[in-house]
Amino acid sequence: MNPLCLMEDVRKTFRMGENSVEVLKGIDLTVERGEIAAIMGVSGSGKSTLMNLIGCLDVPTSGRYLFAGREVLGLADDSLSELRNANIGFVFQSFYLLPYATVLENVLLPSLYRERAKDGAEERAVELLRLIGLEERIHFRPNRLSGGEQQRVAICRALMNDPELLLADEPTGQLDSRTASEIMNLLVAMNERGKTVIIVTHDPAIAAYANRIIRIKDGVIVDEQAD
Amino acid sequence: MNRLIKILAQALQAVVALKLRTFFCVLSIAIGISAITIIVAATEGAYQKAFDIVASFGPDSILIVSGSEESRGIARREKTLTLADAEAIRSAFATAYMVVPMSRVRDTIISYKANRYSAPIIGSTSDYSLSWTWPVVEGSDFTQEDLKRLANVALLGHETMRELFGDENPVGKTIQVGRIPVQVVGVLLERGSSQGGGNMDNRVVMPITTVMKKFQNEPKYVQALRVRFEDQENLDIRVEELKGFLRVRHRLPDSEPNDFQIVSPKDIIKFLVALTGSLVAFVGIVGIISLVVAGFVLANLFHLSVRERTGEIGIRRSVGAKRRDILLQFLGEALIITTLGGLIGFVLGVAAAGLLQYVEAFPIHFSWKAFAIGLLLSWLVGVLFGLKPASQAADLEPIEAIRS
Repeated sequence: MNPLCLMEDVRKTFRMGENSVEVLKGIDLTVERGEIAAIMGVSGSGKSTLMNLIGCLDVPTSGRYLFAGREVLGLADDSLSELRNANIGFVFQSFYLLPYATVLENVLLPSLYRERAKDGAEERAVELLRLIGLEERIHFRPNRLSGGEQQRVAICRALMNDPELLLADEPTGQLDSRTASEIMNLLVAMNERGKTVIIVTHDPAIAAYANRIIRIKDGVIVDEQAD
Repeated sequence: MNRLIKILAQALQAVVALKLRTFFCVLSIAIGISAITIIVAATEGAYQKAFDIVASFGPDSILIVSGSEESRGIARREKTLTLADAEAIRSAFATAYMVVPMSRVRDTIISYKANRYSAPIIGSTSDYSLSWTWPVVEGSDFTQEDLKRLANVALLGHETMRELFGDENPVGKTIQVGRIPVQVVGVLLERGSSQGGGNMDNRVVMPITTVMKKFQNEPKYVQALRVRFEDQENLDIRVEELKGFLRVRHRLPDSEPNDFQIVSPKDIIKFLVALTGSLVAFVGIVGIISLVVAGFVLANLFHLSVRERTGEIGIRRSVGAKRRDILLQFLGEALIITTLGGLIGFVLGVAAAGLLQYVEAFPIHFSWKAFAIGLLLSWLVGVLFGLKPASQAADLEPIEAIRS
């Protein structure tokens, strides 16, 4: 089976007015299915840009990026949307729950944009929330939940379309350490259930949950180590 | 399709959630649409009223009024038309099946027992009811014989009858018109107040010969002639022919203007529509301006909303929403809001029109047209002014949106 993510000499250049800044300077990276990996780096190292590329939120300037065997470079915007919708679940530092929608509606969000609508979306969302222990709150609005609960809802949302990859960007950045470890344990549990998980963080304690740490510095991968 | 419905449901949810934005947008659009609703209804009302009046006036009939156009508006018109003119027209125009001379005496005191009432007296021939397609509901019209012998008989307008007689049957009773005792022979059907034409139900109609001799001391001239033609389709031609005919009869040299004026049904419509026109123009300008203002309010509030909701746009894009989906959602929000504004505006318009009619009788007619035009305009505003912020939202790069 081919790897889930395969990057070869991926470069990303941003144009800032007259100048252009090369943020990623030749990344070679392979992420196998079923892995749980952490991408570590200080801010400005290019780790967020790398995450955006892995998550198909953006495309490389040059190089090759195969996601599940499919070339991402050159895909149209709509195809990227479809790819994200079907294959990637995002968890962000600031949760990004819709404030005016209920917990259930937030979890259902990815199902709205599915190419072929499936029956039983609501049952699945309720089931996910039940697994995570929030079934009592499905009709609450996010502002009535604690940070940890909000992030758990966000994880449910990420899992809604049953993606292959869970991509978490500083998922515990706004949480206290006890809640952070709950969230991390949840991500590990999802990995054990077969999801490929990539965590982007600057925090070694968080990176320690992964069984592989990819360090990035000044736009290049400086160290890859597996536990 | 399914997806579109889901996206519109999201739009509806946002419209409900963002109450302040919804409120201000709906309010501003409703004001514009209510003005538009009134215009459409007033225009329609004017036309309908005009056609109603023409229908009751008789679409095949014209009115020749004594005096030149210049003397119009002067309280006393010079009298130029004669009974002989009426006879001449009757014999010269084969299709003129009815020529009725008329004279009018301004408000005259009419009394019956202790009741007094002031009403205009209209002098006419025996064909008054027929020539005005105005049925006599009680008693009968006066006769040719009455005309010949200058009989003191009268037809009463409905209001005059009610004022003088109340519930009593007036037919055969004698009333005082000025100083002259007159016998009531019939009562005309109630017409209601006419738009622009004043009260029509207060008149007293008497044989023109009686009116000329006993009220006006006038041997020759009448105020107006009413002519009805069998060939209604040729009315314009007949009007031109009549003008020439009367100019020759009155021996007017080419340099002189007409010493009479011909009013055709077309003129009545023109007059009424012009009467409404000024209001339509005024409210129309107000309506258009307020709709444009509403559009800018909408565009600005949406622009702010898009900026506030970059996070939302970002998360929608990352879970797989396409640019099109975002565009549709924001456009959908704009359209839901403008539709709401349009509906409320229509209701406001109906209410305002009611108030307008209460203050002054004004022809207003509501139909699906006023509703449809209002709704279409509100959609137009929604699309026109919602498109820019919506495409702004759609064009946000997902990475830009989630960075905020």
